[in-house]
Amino acid sequence: MSRAGAAVLAALLAAAPSAVRAAGGDVPDLGPSVSVGLLAAGGTSIVNPLGGAPVAAIELWYRAPSTGFALKPAPSLARLAAQAVAASKPLVGPGLGSLVNEVGGRLAISVFPDSIEISALVPASNAPRVVRTMTTVFFAPVLSDDGFRAAQRDVIQEAALETFNPETLLRDAVFGELFSNGPEHYPPLGGPKQIAELSENDVRAFATRAFRSQNAVLVVSGTVDPSITGSAAPGRPAEEAAREPEAHAPRQLATAPPEPVQKAFDLPAGGYGWIGPPIADEREATALDFIADYLFRPEGGVVSRELNESDPDAFVVGQFITLHDPGVVFVAYAGKRIDSVRAAVDRGLAGMHKPLAAQAFAAARLAFEYNLLHELQTPVELADNFGWYAIEGNPAYAPGAGGRGGAYFKAADSLTPEFVAATADKYLSVPPAVARLGPQNKPEATK
Amino acid sequence: MRNALLLAAAFGLLGAAPPPAPGPARFPAATSAYVGTTRIFAESDAGAQLAGLQIFVGGGLGRQTPSVGGVAALTAECLLRTPVNGVQLRDAIAAGGGSLQYTVDVRSTHFYLEGLAERVPALAALVAQALAAPDFSPGSVAAARALLLARGEDTQSNALATGIEMFRRSYYEGAAGLPLLGTRASLSNVAASDVADFYKANYRRGSASLSAVGHIVPELAGAEANLIAALPEGTLAPLAAKVTAIPEQPPRIVARRDVGAPIVVVGFAAADPGSADFGAMLVLESLLSNAFERNSTTSLGLRERSVGAFYFYDATPASLIFYVNGNRVDPSLAIRGLVVVAQSLAKRPLAADVLRRYKMAAEGTFLSDTVTLADRAYVLGTFGSAGFGNDPVNAALAALDRASAADVQRAAKRYLQRYIVALVLPRQAPSGT
Repeated sequence: MSRAGAAVLAALLAAAPSAVRAAGGDVPDLGPSVSVGLLAAGGTSIVNPLGGAPVAAIELWYRAPSTGFALKPAPSLARLAAQAVAASKPLVGPGLGSLVNEVGGRLAISVFPDSIEISALVPASNAPRVVRTMTTVFFAPVLSDDGFRAAQRDVIQEAALETFNPETLLRDAVFGELFSNGPEHYPPLGGPKQIAELSENDVRAFATRAFRSQNAVLVVSGTVDPSITGSAAPGRPAEEAAREPEAHAPRQLATAPPEPVQKAFDLPAGGYGWIGPPIADEREATALDFIADYLFRPEGGVVSRELNESDPDAFVVGQFITLHDPGVVFVAYAGKRIDSVRAAVDRGLAGMHKPLAAQAFAAARLAFEYNLLHELQTPVELADNFGWYAIEGNPAYAPGAGGRGGAYFKAADSLTPEFVAATADKYLSVPPAVARLGPQNKPEATK
Repeated sequence: MRNALLLAAAFGLLGAAPPPAPGPARFPAATSAYVGTTRIFAESDAGAQLAGLQIFVGGGLGRQTPSVGGVAALTAECLLRTPVNGVQLRDAIAAGGGSLQYTVDVRSTHFYLEGLAERVPALAALVAQALAAPDFSPGSVAAARALLLARGEDTQSNALATGIEMFRRSYYEGAAGLPLLGTRASLSNVAASDVADFYKANYRRGSASLSAVGHIVPELAGAEANLIAALPEGTLAPLAAKVTAIPEQPPRIVARRDVGAPIVVVGFAAADPGSADFGAMLVLESLLSNAFERNSTTSLGLRERSVGAFYFYDATPASLIFYVNGNRVDPSLAIRGLVVVAQSLAKRPLAADVLRRYKMAAEGTFLSDTVTLADRAYVLGTFGSAGFGNDPVNAALAALDRASAADVQRAAKRYLQRYIVALVLPRQAPSGT
């Protein structure tokens, strides 16, 4: 390794989130109803028993760069590796995809710039078998030729379909502008051509290094007992597993104001992105979540409601993407009358720099708390929530942790109109990354 | 006969080491009670932080007349726009820590109220205010109409929705087959007085039902009674949609729309919930959904699937549709395969391991589709009205568990031998299509 490479690696390891450190004994407290433990060979387990439908969400989360560990980025390597491992039949027992399908469940794999999620929703009676199989497959990955080929076919199809999704295109473009290097700069799913160029050896090397118990967070949520973690396979001992994974290349923020990205697309659409606070800054992160909810929540958000009346065909989404450091504010919009839609989005954002009136703020905060809980009512939503916040390094801040008495809701309760406006000023006053899609794109000035 | 061979291969594989049957899954046990003649089902989950209340009223598609198609949706939309304490009901609910939505189906319009558990009684009181004095003014109707027209245009560009709608228009006679949101022409016919008349005629308390799920606080009982009291008095006559007898030679309907790829919808008659064939219908839905689909490690979404099946029991009689995504497979091959399967299922009973496999898949699909409070409240109320007893969702799951190979064979013979084909083509079909 070159001196420069070693320096980069050291810097990144110093900045790595603390979720994996939990494997060393630092177990976070996620409230009285949630059990947190350590897996046999390292790694964290989180079990959230629920009432309701007799189902269980079983998820494995890994922190690893979507572009691989090599210095040369390989977009979609993480996605393809996860699919290939799930598609390969293990030495003993059924493949993960076969088992989940057999019991009428659903299996999904999602990849983000610096993390990977494998998620199954199954009848609760089958949860122990699925935990066993998922951990067997992903703690000691086996890659078969057939599994690799099937995965390549499926991920290429998925990537081809995503080229029709304006939200994905805008998000990828905005991230590519905000970050000049590192996994965040590249589309996590990659394109069909990039996927086709990845070799089985590349995929095997990545899987061996990323998919191991010591690097995992296992989350089970649903009508299950905390003892379900006993069904997890131990996986490879720490000394046999690959060394701690490190991100391959430094994450770099763009230094100059980003140039607008223009892409051809059937429908007119646009997107904005701003750099936000790290996950550790809970109050600011929550304030940006509040702003996104207040303006853009479907049906009830101020901008959504306005567009519902003026441009019923319009689509708008806004969110603060809570990441280890930094987070990102992302807004996407589309509609036939794109100028009118963009104007409504701009008006809404501009209004957040002024404190809301006390009564309006109180109603908006109550609605915000309800909307959070509305989005945390199913086993999959809760498992996603625990997995995401754990892998980004602040599991105790997960909105599902501790319910309305947990850290997240305390941060929400602490918000004031003035603090929200100040947070908007701090993060949303700089020129955003801008992306525009349309059939006849014309260059436009930066916002 | 490629599909028939594939089918045989699929059936053959099913014989390999099936997992043990774990027995029927169970939701929390439900209770039921009456307020007057209105039945209320409840499925309590004290650990939940929210509660959901589904209010079913009789004003569904089936109660419309064709000349005012869309009036059911307009009525519901106007109710959500009714001013309560100076703001629209929908906004008043949001400001109070909840949400309110509606869905129109053939039998009913159902409103779903959800909120922070301790606030749901107060939110229900707001809904009761709107039900007692709904705003059907011309201005409100005009705004609601504009919204429905925009949503209707979205539906027109969805090939699967269009194909299902074509089948339903062909199968159900009269209003039950009308588009959910009406058409541009029919909506423009609806006057404010039509909306008011529809409300008075169909939102009768004697034909309403409620279902509550989640964390149910004691105060909710009083709020439910007030909701029912806010509805006009009276009871509706039972509604059974008239259907066209499907001829032996399958009718074909073709439409061209602004869609990316052709889609074929094959529609069948189906057993109603509560009937002896209900469990078998769920097995058939699962079998038709899965037997032809390509293997994929991760679950395929609607747009990724080659084929699929849906069992619709929002109307009496019910229906089942099988669809083929022409972007992924040759529709004529898939339909040929479907016919072979349907005939085979009617001729001989499924092997025990095959039956067990598809029952397990059907149960898993049902459970996976019933995880949100809204979905749980919907199936609780729907199965409750279908005669499944006091604990209707668990009774429905038990019916699936009881379904035998003979039941499946009987249902296949009764329902899968005649069908209607709806073909949705892109406006500019590629050459050779």
